[in-house]
Amino acid sequence: MSGDAVEDLLYQGFQGRLLEESLRRMPPSLRPEAATAVDVRAIVIARAMRQTVDGRGDLCCPGPMSPGPALAFGATPLEFLRHVTRRGTSPASARAGGTSWTDLRRGLIGWDGGRGTMTQVLAGAALAFAQGDQDRAALVFERRSAIETGAWHEGMNFAAAQRAPVIVVLAPPPGRGRRDRAEIEGVARGYGVGLLWFGGEPLIDVFESVAGARRRAVAGDGPSLIALAPRTDVDLRASHDAFVEWALAEGGRTRGDLESIERAAAAGVDHALGRIGKEPDPDPEEALAPVRTDTPSIRPWTRMKSPRPDELAGTAPSGAFGVH
Amino acid sequence: MSTDLPAQVTRTREGRPATVLEAIAEALWEEMERDERVFLLGEDIGAYGGAFKVTRGFIDRFGSARVIDTPISEGGFTGAAAGAAHMGLRPVVEMQFMDFISPAYDVLTNYIATSLYRGAGPLPLVVRGPVGGGNRGGPFHSQNVEMAFFHTPGLKIVYPSTPRDAKGLLKSAIRDDNPVIFEEHKGLYRAPYCRELLPRDDYAIPLGKARTALEGEDLTIVTYGLMVHRSLEAAAELAKDRIRAEVIDLRTLLPLDEDGIVASVQKTGKLLVVHEDTRTGGIAGEIAMRVNERAFEWLDGPILRVTAIDAPVPFSGELEDYFLPSVADVVTAGRYLFRY
Repeated sequence: MSGDAVEDLLYQGFQGRLLEESLRRMPPSLRPEAATAVDVRAIVIARAMRQTVDGRGDLCCPGPMSPGPALAFGATPLEFLRHVTRRGTSPASARAGGTSWTDLRRGLIGWDGGRGTMTQVLAGAALAFAQGDQDRAALVFERRSAIETGAWHEGMNFAAAQRAPVIVVLAPPPGRGRRDRAEIEGVARGYGVGLLWFGGEPLIDVFESVAGARRRAVAGDGPSLIALAPRTDVDLRASHDAFVEWALAEGGRTRGDLESIERAAAAGVDHALGRIGKEPDPDPEEALAPVRTDTPSIRPWTRMKSPRPDELAGTAPSGAFGVH
Repeated sequence: MSTDLPAQVTRTREGRPATVLEAIAEALWEEMERDERVFLLGEDIGAYGGAFKVTRGFIDRFGSARVIDTPISEGGFTGAAAGAAHMGLRPVVEMQFMDFISPAYDVLTNYIATSLYRGAGPLPLVVRGPVGGGNRGGPFHSQNVEMAFFHTPGLKIVYPSTPRDAKGLLKSAIRDDNPVIFEEHKGLYRAPYCRELLPRDDYAIPLGKARTALEGEDLTIVTYGLMVHRSLEAAAELAKDRIRAEVIDLRTLLPLDEDGIVASVQKTGKLLVVHEDTRTGGIAGEIAMRVNERAFEWLDGPILRVTAIDAPVPFSGELEDYFLPSVADVVTAGRYLFRY
């Protein structure tokens, strides 16, 4: 693991933990409906991919593990809060919600619809990487229950058949403690893809395993499936603490470094929390954003400033009806 | 890779008239040669050449990376096409029969159609395939699917009626930055009456613009697809009674060429909408409403429609012939409207 990766994981790990605590303390009117838990393993998995800001790096759908993987791909706490609280400044201009948004230049892609769809989409993106012989791979986080949907199996089947460089992560089911390893192993075997199973392994091992899966995927060996076993918040914090200790013992970091990184992470979260309450609501006319690239949206004629239907009788209809 | 061209893409090169199927094959071939980002996905389109042989021989020229035989999973490969489109490719998805598009309804309407609006960028992809009845295909191989998607903002829907339009519109659809559903009436694929010499030059027909298939003064028939030909037959019959019908071929259903429809209605004062799709929730209702909004004062009679009956497409020939709109139906409605 490079020095930059160690620093990033420390920073994002601190940031994720602080963001999680802050989300739980937010007033109900602002609190997002989901994503109040940050699993540090998801941050590590995402950081093991290749991030760029020019649209040429790996592609990540943080899905149910947001915001952790999004942070690893360069999203900021303020962007996340703007999005989940549907501010007018949100990355999707408040026209989409959920926990993930799309910024292809940074390698982020998001949608909070039906389970399995993003495995299909990321499989296709990965196919494009392979067709272009690019050093790129796709990473998608799905809920554990996705594998009970036809959509997910169609996406996984397509990815496996095409040997597309995609890594599919199954998040642990919220509130479910029992592992269902045998079933997931059977699924991986059925598609002929590699399976990584992460419970409480050291984060450095998680990172190296995922980096290896990514290398194999880009080399043409096909997709990998990763399953995250359920862990308690206490366990996850212990994992992060152990990583911090590793960074001190073997990662070339000092206590001073750690304090500095933690202060910077806290400053980012504090800034986001301070700002989010002041962020504007979206302008209602944002709803008129185009749905196609070359045709304007139709404004309801009853919401024009001067509909004057009385003037229209017997005359050639004008643009007052807002049609095109 | 083979240098021999498949027969279905050589008609224009040889100066011979092309069928709708050949025009579609030529469009795909030429777009794949023009733009390496264009690739095809679908069931049995590679080695087998597709159920209707539109892509026969393509895999020999373009290879299995650009002519991809997919598993039987319409949702899965349409979703994958979306991912590839996000990454800058221009996928063309073939539905073996458009009836099978329903498993992809979720990803098309919820993910693909909303992409631009959600801020996730445009998704340039085409979903094309055969539609329509009259071939004794029964309820699962004969449907017209346009109205299942017409209600979805973000999509475009194209439905050509001639070889020239099929080629030019498909090229435009592939070059378009928006997701396009492209319906091909299988009754026109190899219809002997529907062969044309196509321009040798590269040409594209803009989406969203209707064409006047026949000029007239007494009533407007708005239609598309195979029904353009039925309506032209009906117009010829009406002409024997000195009723001059204008036939408007919509070509693109979404976005609808409202200006073109309104202009014709303002000229004739009477409107008949003809479509092969079933009646309730058919496009005739939307067209009637738009004409009501914009050209009510010009109407000299009720807006009428001739459509299939509200039923699944029946299997037996006798039942299907009764189910589908006929030339006689159009003539009857045209006469009624003219005399109103």
